[in-house]
Amino acid sequence: MKKLVALVVAAIMLLSLTSVFAEAPKTITMWCIATESDANRPAYEAAIAEIEAQYNVKIEWEAFENQSYKTKIKAAMADASTLPDIFFTWAGAFCGDFAKAGNVYCLEDAYKAYADALPAVMLQNASYDVDGNGAKPYAVPLTMNIVTLFANMDLLKQAGWDAVPTTYDDLIACCDDLVAAGIIPFGCSGSETWCVTEYLEPIIEKTIGYEKLNKIFAGTESWDDADIATAVDTFQYMINKGYFDPDGLSLGNDQVKANFIAGKYAFYQNGSWNCGEVNDAEGNFQVALFPVMNAEKATYGQVIGGPSDSLAVAATAEDPAFVADVAFALGKAICHYGYLAGSGLPAWTPDYDTSAVKPLVAAVADIVANSEGMVLFGDTAMSADPANIYLDYVSKVYGCAIDGAGFVAGLTEALPVAE
Amino acid sequence: MKTTGTYKLHILLFLLPGLILFIGILIAPIVMSVYYSLFDFHQIDGSDRVFKGIENYVTLFSRTLTNPVTGNVYENTKFLGDALVNALLLALLSTFIQLPIALLIALRLGKGIKGERAYLSVFFMPVLISTVIIGRLWMNIYDPGDAGILNAGLRALGIDQWLFPKISEGITSSTLKFKGQWTGFKETALIAAFIPILWQYVGYHALLMYAGVKGVPTDLLEAASLDGCTEGQVNRLIIIPYIKPILRVCVVFAVTGSLKSFDLVYALMKDTTKAELPSTLMYKLLYLHNDYGMGSTIAVILIVLCFAFALLISLIFRSRGEKVA
Repeated sequence: MKKLVALVVAAIMLLSLTSVFAEAPKTITMWCIATESDANRPAYEAAIAEIEAQYNVKIEWEAFENQSYKTKIKAAMADASTLPDIFFTWAGAFCGDFAKAGNVYCLEDAYKAYADALPAVMLQNASYDVDGNGAKPYAVPLTMNIVTLFANMDLLKQAGWDAVPTTYDDLIACCDDLVAAGIIPFGCSGSETWCVTEYLEPIIEKTIGYEKLNKIFAGTESWDDADIATAVDTFQYMINKGYFDPDGLSLGNDQVKANFIAGKYAFYQNGSWNCGEVNDAEGNFQVALFPVMNAEKATYGQVIGGPSDSLAVAATAEDPAFVADVAFALGKAICHYGYLAGSGLPAWTPDYDTSAVKPLVAAVADIVANSEGMVLFGDTAMSADPANIYLDYVSKVYGCAIDGAGFVAGLTEALPVAE
Repeated sequence: MKTTGTYKLHILLFLLPGLILFIGILIAPIVMSVYYSLFDFHQIDGSDRVFKGIENYVTLFSRTLTNPVTGNVYENTKFLGDALVNALLLALLSTFIQLPIALLIALRLGKGIKGERAYLSVFFMPVLISTVIIGRLWMNIYDPGDAGILNAGLRALGIDQWLFPKISEGITSSTLKFKGQWTGFKETALIAAFIPILWQYVGYHALLMYAGVKGVPTDLLEAASLDGCTEGQVNRLIIIPYIKPILRVCVVFAVTGSLKSFDLVYALMKDTTKAELPSTLMYKLLYLHNDYGMGSTIAVILIVLCFAFALLISLIFRSRGEKVA
């Protein structure tokens, strides 16, 4: 009996010793913009719980409101020691400035383990030539988004249309029919300039083609193009014809979106992150792309958007290679849960059951799969100063304070081609 | 006998903590802003800093710029002139509309009326509400649709039929017609921002003036009354001169507050270009454009203007023999 007791006591001691020497979870800090009200919040929560268990890590994360986060992360870059291990960033010039300042860990090696699940093309927007040895990836894409034309099919039917117009002439005819039926064709917020770009950029792209627009946003080609002026004039023609809700000039995007969902407008052109919300709303909605304006230079399948929302690893992280691996796994998981929830399209190739994906989200995913060219959102593709000069001009376009010629002339001089 | 000189070291030691705080919190940031305003840089750590001298100041006051390569002229989207004019207009409206209203309220309440405290609380309440909430509240009031109480009221009374076309005639910044989008046009946005500012701060100034009115010795008022002064004469000849130091403080607050005004305009209009003020432009240049040199230049201009106006107002209000504070 004594031997048995001794054996049990020894076993208990051994077990307790095992627990003492068991590896305590590593702590990884993270900043992001998935606040309580953000559509991506549930995806972040589910992904973090999954990765914490998988990697035996404790992710201490904080979420900040979008605009204040931009200020916070830029301020933190001035003193890299204040950066968290993983931080949310937008691809394009936003992350490029941080990478070029040497504050972001290069993910070239960490990517190799995930190359099968994440197509290299998805890393392009966050790849930078920092050391003169070619572009390398510096951020893990999460979801991707494109500008989508949402259509209220019930309202279109009232105007005699059973399908979303796919040519410009049809769109104009449809808008005329809608106006005649007392329905406002489009809603667009004028108090948030990025919402105006959601209309203007696709119109410009469908006039001059995605390749040229990419070069203009990259600063390697001039804005001096008569077709851009024509595109702007076309947009203003639609505004002046009464195709846009005049109230939109002083409304915020939330109000405009609410109006669309409530059935006030037939069309609403905005980011595909709205798919889940529109899908869940009452009514018959479909998604499409803005039609081609100049068939010689553009095709219907050219889209505005691409992977932008990303996670980056701070160069100051204690074990950057391990943190980079966690960032990739986390990015993949956020993409997975976000896609299923309808808060974005997958930048990662789905390796899970997608039958539960909401129909509108699946429809946009299909559009992306068949896209014939992509241009990243202008204010993301350009660095901060030119992006905001560009937005100042866009703001004047919606208010009809300048015409196409003024827009082109101003931007040609204000944003000259990089030497 | 020990003189002040004997205690020089002690005095210095006792002054030192306050002096360090004063220099560290007020003087050093101003000096740094002046220094930064002489450079062009877009990286927050200043790694791309290029010395420009007073070029930033010149650029901010240039309505147009010239492309150095083509020689073509184009519009300067960072032009400060319009924002300064808007701020000065706001200061004028605050001084000549907001403060007289506050004075009338203070004079009326200061005489002692039934429910005096309750009225005071009601007038002061907007000061206690967060500006963001006030911005949201007025966004709803200005809503161009039927949800907006202002436009709904105008439509119900039929006033919109003649008012909106008249406003449209005055709009030169756009070819679009005014249909009740108060925050959508340059010509109406500043007024739309001023009304909530007036509403929010009139109670604050009224409270300050009310305290002054209550401090007027009753024997003075009684003497005036016995001499046959009317209420208007008492107000004009006794109370207002008596509360002149408070009026001066109110004017300084109203003018410098207008120059620094930011939060309500930002909360009311996310795109502030239609009612641009120096502070909103500074925010845009610092945090959206990452143009830290230009942003610092506006900060310096604002500091100089606020000091200059405070001094000017003190000079205007100076009584004979009184020194300027």
